[in-house]
Amino acid sequence: MENSNTALVVGAGISGIRAALDLAESGHRVVLVERAPHLGGILSQLDRQFPTNRCGMCRMLPAFERDAASQACLRRGLFHERIDIRLSTQITALSGAPGHMQVSLRTAPNGVDARRCVGCGECAEVCPVVVPDPFNAGLTTRKAIYQPVPHDRSTGYVIDVQACTQCGVCASVCPTQAIQLAQDGRRKFHILVVDDELVVRDSLKEWLLAEGYSVRMAASGAEALEMLSGQPVHLMLADIKMPGMDGVELLQRSRQILPELCVLMMTAYATVETAVEAMKMGALDYLMKPFDTAAMMDKVAAVFQEQMAEQDESIAVGAVILACGSDYFDPRRGKNPYGYGTCPHVLTQLEFERLLSGSGPFGGALLRPADRRPVGKIAFLQCVGSRDLQSDADFCSSVCCMIAIKQARLARERGGAQLAATLFHMDLRTAGLPYQRWGEAACEQDQLRLVRGRVHSLLADPASGDPVLTWLGPDGQITGETFDLVVLAVGQRPAQGLAPLAEMTGLSLNPWGFVRTQAHSLVRTDQAGILVAGACAGLKDINESVIQASAAAAEAGRILHATGGTLSVAADAARTPPRDLSADPPRIAVALCTCDGALNAEGAAAALEARLNQDPCVSRIVFLNRLCTDDGWRTLVDGLNDPQANRILLGACRSDAFTPRLRALVAENGLPSQMVEAVDLRIYDREPSAASRQARVATDLAMAVARLKHAEPVRPPGVSVVQHALVVGGGIAGMQAALSIAERGYLVTLVEKQASLGGNLHWLRQTLDGADLTALLADTIDRVAHQPLIHVHLQTEVQSAFGQVGHFYTTLAPAKAAPHILEHGVTVLATGCGEASTAAYGYGTHAAVVTQKELEVRLADQRIDPQQLGAVVMILCVASREAPRSYCSRVCCPTALKQALTLKRANPATAVYILYRDMMTCGFSETFFTQARREGIVFMPYATDAKPRVTADATQGPCIRTMDSILGADVEIRVDLLVLATGLVPELPPELATAYGAQLDEDHFFRPADFKWRPVEALTAGVFACGCALSPRGVAESIATAQAAAQKAVGILRRPTIAPDAVTATVRRSLCSLCERCIDACPFGARALSPEQDQVLINPAMCQGCGACAAACPNGAAVVSNYSAGQMLAMIAEVVKCDV
Amino acid sequence: MESFEPVVVAFVCNWCTYTAADLAGTSRLDYPPNVRLIRVMCTGMVDPQYILKALLEGADAVLVSGCHPGDCHYINGNYKARRRIKLLKEILPQFGFEPERLQLTWIGASDGIQFAAIMRALVAQVTALGPSQARSAMIV
Repeated sequence: MENSNTALVVGAGISGIRAALDLAESGHRVVLVERAPHLGGILSQLDRQFPTNRCGMCRMLPAFERDAASQACLRRGLFHERIDIRLSTQITALSGAPGHMQVSLRTAPNGVDARRCVGCGECAEVCPVVVPDPFNAGLTTRKAIYQPVPHDRSTGYVIDVQACTQCGVCASVCPTQAIQLAQDGRRKFHILVVDDELVVRDSLKEWLLAEGYSVRMAASGAEALEMLSGQPVHLMLADIKMPGMDGVELLQRSRQILPELCVLMMTAYATVETAVEAMKMGALDYLMKPFDTAAMMDKVAAVFQEQMAEQDESIAVGAVILACGSDYFDPRRGKNPYGYGTCPHVLTQLEFERLLSGSGPFGGALLRPADRRPVGKIAFLQCVGSRDLQSDADFCSSVCCMIAIKQARLARERGGAQLAATLFHMDLRTAGLPYQRWGEAACEQDQLRLVRGRVHSLLADPASGDPVLTWLGPDGQITGETFDLVVLAVGQRPAQGLAPLAEMTGLSLNPWGFVRTQAHSLVRTDQAGILVAGACAGLKDINESVIQASAAAAEAGRILHATGGTLSVAADAARTPPRDLSADPPRIAVALCTCDGALNAEGAAAALEARLNQDPCVSRIVFLNRLCTDDGWRTLVDGLNDPQANRILLGACRSDAFTPRLRALVAENGLPSQMVEAVDLRIYDREPSAASRQARVATDLAMAVARLKHAEPVRPPGVSVVQHALVVGGGIAGMQAALSIAERGYLVTLVEKQASLGGNLHWLRQTLDGADLTALLADTIDRVAHQPLIHVHLQTEVQSAFGQVGHFYTTLAPAKAAPHILEHGVTVLATGCGEASTAAYGYGTHAAVVTQKELEVRLADQRIDPQQLGAVVMILCVASREAPRSYCSRVCCPTALKQALTLKRANPATAVYILYRDMMTCGFSETFFTQARREGIVFMPYATDAKPRVTADATQGPCIRTMDSILGADVEIRVDLLVLATGLVPELPPELATAYGAQLDEDHFFRPADFKWRPVEALTAGVFACGCALSPRGVAESIATAQAAAQKAVGILRRPTIAPDAVTATVRRSLCSLCERCIDACPFGARALSPEQDQVLINPAMCQGCGACAAACPNGAAVVSNYSAGQMLAMIAEVVKCDV
Repeated sequence: MESFEPVVVAFVCNWCTYTAADLAGTSRLDYPPNVRLIRVMCTGMVDPQYILKALLEGADAVLVSGCHPGDCHYINGNYKARRRIKLLKEILPQFGFEPERLQLTWIGASDGIQFAAIMRALVAQVTALGPSQARSAMIV
């Protein structure tokens, strides 16, 4: 069935875009709906991301089948031929079982025809309504008609219907008549008022006309019926008590004429019961006399909206992914101790982000919004509305610490060396692999000052108005300091629409209103067929959001596959192969949209035609009108009906918007995609003179002609794919990756060096939140055993490997058999990690000093009896988060809490002390930290320059001396058990990674192509990693990475051949001197010397078309199609030739 | 005397600077029409011969503008451009061009305001520098 190949993704933030692109890349169709009128969610407002202070959003775009998607900054919009994007759209109903779900979508009209809007901005210029601009977090203003994201070329302008006064000035200046005000609609909305009292009729008429509706009046039921049969009426307001025919009878008789007619009854108090009766007979509602004008107009407007709004559209989908994001805590709520909204120099993190942006209020200059004074001293206050029981927020918002560090560093970049930033925090949660180093660098290179503690309150200095912060230091001293600007890290709150959505879909929410996921899964909800991604299950950073979104896509893909959704490989194959143009001279058909004559100002069209005709390759030029309309497009299709033409040049406003239709046209004509070019004429852009506009348009078109003329029609052959995956490592991540690939119908070989599957789950019993890991292991092993597409090789290692995406050759060496070679298309490395060894704190010298793993094992096999323990100390961050192992292992803090709570609950008399640096209980695990403190577990922070000291002698237990910050003195604790959290170290052999072309990072984890945007894949195509081979993580997170890696693998495995894209490098062998500079230049490893060493080979699936090879080649032998030297030089000649 | 209107050829990368240029256009910011954009996938694909061709054909200046270091869609194309342009500036005088006629900048996707400002400054600088000698003298 067709429907089960389509998935619905709700929310087009980063998670939604990632999930949609993943599903599209694996061949499924996607409907991507977004409530806002723009794509990108919160990321559209964040220019730079930690831990690089750079952007990299474009790296989300497909690396294979690049031509199916847009090839531009994602802030400019997104296109993918299998993704149907619906903006300003919400889901209103959802029903059905996985594979066969029915969803209703409602799109809010936003007043502007997106296809006709050219984005010229004339409307905004004249709009008299000024409101705060949410894009700049209210720091700037915008008009009621506006561009939601200024970069976005795909959406155009929209009307803020709440702010719009319907004055109509914008519509009068729009050069393309794209604006349709609701007012126009209201005039076409006819209301019939039926009342025997003239005064009522007249006042109603006056009110309704003032609101813009058309009004007719009838004094009696009979008159009304007569009018109903003659003229269109959309709404009838009928009085109940009328002489002759009363309102109820009128209702009944009118419905015989117009069964769909909306009727509102008008009633006095005495006849309310009659009105209720009338509603049972089909009246929509009743209005009570004397009329409350506002309430009445709301009811009328609701009927108008209902009738005029586009009807709900019902679509059939196979699975649903919810990625609707989160909202933020409003710091004005509650006691507002930090004076947000009162002191003008207190901003939220989002406001500060916009202040730092090049498209922000001051173009990126670091000035205080209130008085435009340069900022010298900034304070960042963490945990505002997070980790705060008073605001019912017993959770951590996970990302704010890193955002604060990023902003401190960006501020320093903007403000220079004199800028001083101070970060007030409780724990500095740098819990991702590269985050610890990033935080350290902020302190060392950018002099970020860290202050531990919660600032009590903020007061404005009476003289200057500057914010003054007062806090209690660890030494017990109260300190006061004045700052120029204070930035509040406001915490997460569930998205506004999530609760109703949950009610509609039956999803259960956690105590704080976020989506609750099933045990061991970050993406499965308690409703089959509905998956979750991103911040609606709790705020997370881009790395985690992207992983989770890919995992959700994998699960959705599994459902689509299991319920009969066929991958659209067939559709790919059905495409007509491009015509062979190699023997034809270039003949270019040019189609130009005149935009109602705007292009032809002062006879420019003739000059343009003459200029273009100078080139003999231009076979015809057609001037068309309104290509943005369906009629206009049809004239194009007819006008270009020229079998001789083998290249098409289209010139129109906002050519980006034509991409989908242009692709269809190309496919119809059988032209290779590089033979078609669309030029954005931008005839409404601001230019000094009409002459300079004409010159620019002519140049842009002449350049496009030059490019098309020299376009090479030949494309390299595709890369064949062995549709078989290899997964190395049989822990929980490896098993899950194998299952997720096999469940999509592809063969998997799963290799494990041990004698059994399971890895670390052999000794882990349960998670912090009590989920049973033993059962998970048994269940997963069972599923692997019963999956016929998975071949398990135990006690087998990878001996050697070579090859590239599509075709790897791996020699597998079983312990008890001869090695054999496996051919496979993709590789997933799931080699896991182990607990780090240590010699610190007396480990190895005393039996009572154990690691977390040893405690876990000994508690399970009852070698440690909690009843016998008088005192236990746990030391966290043992040789972790400091050189040389400068990363957080993420799992140790939750493990310590789990073990501490287990010991305390088994024997409440046991004194349990946890010595920590920063408790990394990100997200909802924070609640266990609160729980542990409630149950009497003592937490004592220590600093790296004053670490605990342990003395252990054989007769007594170990003795731990540590500095207690509250007492301000050393304390001594003699314990029966000392537990060390040593952290995790990877077990990925470097030679294994490099055999597949992947690399390790400085901590010997798998180096992803991009930590944030491409977290589970290597830069070298076809190689993936999951679980702790990537970075330390818990079980549910490992499973998510495995699903994400599997999803990426399926994106490659799904077709027998990967076709090269339009912009791909080739080699001209006759010119190549085998100097190999291109091989060094290629960042993607797409080039290699042939085995015979007589030519340079390119894997077109790995090539991304960057052209580094072409610029490096001294002989012109490396050619990038569509950017060949011939094309570039011809274009340059055209550009320089132009008149300025 | 007719005022001198320089021709500036700008090779802009498809990802960051092109977005910024577009943003400058849609934000209705003024920048001189003397700057002609040639969109390339990456500044790393700008072959020195393209720059020399532009100058020899008569361009008064050439700008290469891409993503900030670390932002490159292709990981390190902008670093390659930086190395290449540093070298090219060294040898430009041998072709008879002042090194100032070749410039390299990084303009991120959100920096529409910056894009317009850089274009204005560049055109002013090149105007002050005067016409390129390639316009009057044939160089072989």
